[in-house]
Amino acid sequence: MKTLEELAAIREKMKSKVVLREGSSDIRVVVGMATCGIAAGARPVLNAFVEEVAKENLSEKVTVTQTGCIGICQYEPVVEIFEAGKEKVTYVKMTAEKVKRVMDEHIKGGKPVAEYTIGNN
Amino acid sequence: MIRTHVLICGGTGCTSSNSPAIRAAMEKEIAAKGLEEEVKVVQTGCFGLCALGPIMIVYPDGTFYSRVTEADVPEIVEEHLLKGRPVQRLVYNDTGDEKKVDGPVSLSETGFYKKQMRLALRNCGVIYPVVIDEYIVMDGYAALGKVLTEMTPEGSY
Repeated sequence: MKTLEELAAIREKMKSKVVLREGSSDIRVVVGMATCGIAAGARPVLNAFVEEVAKENLSEKVTVTQTGCIGICQYEPVVEIFEAGKEKVTYVKMTAEKVKRVMDEHIKGGKPVAEYTIGNN
Repeated sequence: MIRTHVLICGGTGCTSSNSPAIRAAMEKEIAAKGLEEEVKVVQTGCFGLCALGPIMIVYPDGTFYSRVTEADVPEIVEEHLLKGRPVQRLVYNDTGDEKKVDGPVSLSETGFYKKQMRLALRNCGVIYPVVIDEYIVMDGYAALGKVLTEMTPEGSY
């Protein structure tokens, strides 16, 4: 390593490996992972969010975590999205396929996907 | 894809209170539950709270566990890492205030840490000290780089 540019390049390249340890970001994606959630397929949903966030290079802005049972087991897999200054959005009956659209329209576009939310199911 | 980091203190205090065995048990249990593609175990330097060791922190939620034993590991993996429910009886959340907090608090909110402003030791308990790239991500060498390339002996730009 001879230049500042090289140092910065290493920093950028390795950032994704450590960014998780910086705690919560602006947007929190919380996946219900109690027994009911897991049984309904929450793990593929959780992993799809983790992969999409990494792929879209949004790790600094978006944190993906799990939580226990939210109490609406018949709607699992349930995903809640929290964003500072905005109302919580609750998505129900999620699948890994639906994750892409939530990423594009909600996380990146700022507009929740109404048809997947609890009010429309 | 890794979604969770489990930081286990590898400082002298926690090593003497059995943290290497806990780390081994954690890796074994994570593999047994098929979570090795999702959860990474990281050994860190001293957190500074040796009296409460062995110390474990789970990110991104930042849950702080103290006095963890090998016997606690399967419960942490099953309940917290798999199902997202922190093991409350192991959570250290003493903020030093009269009013007790229910549930996890971040490290910087605990009574022991909230009055501290760590400078030279700020990455202790955050990075794996053997991997130089983790140090660089946390701005390692940035000050040296600035001094050598942008500043003059008089201290101005």
